[in-house]
Amino acid sequence: MTTTPSWLYYLFGALMLAIAAYSLAGLILAVVRHRTAGRDVDVAHIFMGVSMAGMFVTQWAFGRRALWELIFGILLTWFVVRSIQSVQRYGLHVPHEAIHAAMSFAMLLMYWFPMGSSPSGSMSMSSSTATRVDPGLAFVLAFLLLASAIFTLASPVKGASHHGTHARAYAMSGAAGSEVSESATGDAPASISIGGIEGFIAAPWLEDASHAVMCVAMAFMLILML
Amino acid sequence: MAIVEAKESAAANDSKGSGPSALRQPRDLQRTFQLVLATVWLLDAVLQIQPFMFTRGANGFSGMLNGLAPGNPSWIAHTITWNGSIVYHQPILTNTGFALIQFVIGLGICWKRTTKAALGLSVVWSLGVWWFGEGAGGIFHGAATPFGGGPGGVLFYALLAVLLWPSEGPDRPFVAARTVGVKAAKTIWAVVWVALAVLSTVGSGRSPQALHDRVAGLNSGQPGWLAHIDRSSESLFLHDGTTMAILLSVVCLVVAVGVFLRPQIAQVTLVLAILVFALIWVAVQNFGGILAGGATDPNSGLLIILLALVYWPLTDTRAIRNAVVHNTTGATRQA
Repeated sequence: MTTTPSWLYYLFGALMLAIAAYSLAGLILAVVRHRTAGRDVDVAHIFMGVSMAGMFVTQWAFGRRALWELIFGILLTWFVVRSIQSVQRYGLHVPHEAIHAAMSFAMLLMYWFPMGSSPSGSMSMSSSTATRVDPGLAFVLAFLLLASAIFTLASPVKGASHHGTHARAYAMSGAAGSEVSESATGDAPASISIGGIEGFIAAPWLEDASHAVMCVAMAFMLILML
Repeated sequence: MAIVEAKESAAANDSKGSGPSALRQPRDLQRTFQLVLATVWLLDAVLQIQPFMFTRGANGFSGMLNGLAPGNPSWIAHTITWNGSIVYHQPILTNTGFALIQFVIGLGICWKRTTKAALGLSVVWSLGVWWFGEGAGGIFHGAATPFGGGPGGVLFYALLAVLLWPSEGPDRPFVAARTVGVKAAKTIWAVVWVALAVLSTVGSGRSPQALHDRVAGLNSGQPGWLAHIDRSSESLFLHDGTTMAILLSVVCLVVAVGVFLRPQIAQVTLVLAILVFALIWVAVQNFGGILAGGATDPNSGLLIILLALVYWPLTDTRAIRNAVVHNTTGATRQA
């Protein structure tokens, strides 16, 4: 007797759509306020959220596979180039763009090695398709994504998932005249004095939380592909 | 609004090369290892919500638990089947609860305010899983060979939680000593590795057939490259299983005394431990069976490697560099 947990897929699907909606709001805010930092991450999260929602709940899927592959191919290229530029600028380090490149690559893997769907409309548990992704690669990617979720949430520099530690730490330090309630070197999250819904959307902790949820969902999907 | 613009301006300035390298702090290694442990807990949580874990029957979670009972003394076997029975009757409820606990532990370690509570919960949970979910690691029926993950991979989660319990102080001479002290840390290390040495050569630990069958049992569903490695392991155990068990026992004893020797020699023994258990994790434990899509945890190999790393002797060069950065940071804060 099996009890396929379709509710679990609906839960992950709903979370993915919520993150896509949140990222869209962040992107609109960035455009209105003429901010450029973090836009690429917002765009990536919108596409990843919508796409993965369709993977978790097949009725929510839309768009041709080739189109999604093209989108994530472009995102992968963009983040790889940005990673290289970051290393050239700041020296040897792991730029936040690198994990987004890994996420884009993971999305491509999900399209290259798709899984079936169950009659209930939610994703099938079976991964025994004719071609399957190399489990070693999927496992390494899943572990990297989970590590990204943990280290992002634990980072004293909040918002690093969207802006990187370099730009964010500098802004938080007060060196540019920004008002912060805590030092960026402290343990408590630095809070920025923006009020209302705008402040909520721009809250660094929420940016990090959305990134962490996205990473966990993606890791789960990769584990299901094993 | 002004703040957003200031952030943008800062980011722009930063991109021009006036970077914040001065803000860099010395890495808190204890915290780093806590977060690696949290990552493994999060991996376990994600593995726990695989679809088959919510199902009944031999291939479900309850079947997996019940399969650990045979061979154990009846009083242990009874507790395992009792647990399996609960999971069988409420697979969704129990598995959801189990997964949530692991999510809480993993994410709880992230926040400094909840780290101690999460680590404390992890110790209790690990001991519970070790008894009810792993059949006490098989030590009561001689099947706790370190090749197979004995005396239970989950015990290492508890041990790491204790050794990485948050505390102030330097990471020298090694991270594991920061909380419990050098003497206690070294004693724990010696006890663990002597136990591994003993378990390597008792019961099925030195039986070529049992070790061969253990690897053969994991072979199904593995990717081609790992199945190829498995065939080599099977062959090795079938022909030289006893020798391999004795060799592992000797290695464990060498590693046990390693931390009591000079740092340079300790580092050599730790590298030996890491290499041997990396090999075991891949070639014998098959990453805990994760790649075959039917595992609940990565088994002991990964945790033993992590354990070895928290005992890594920190050189003077690193300590001096950390002290310089620490003092500079402190002076800047005071200014």
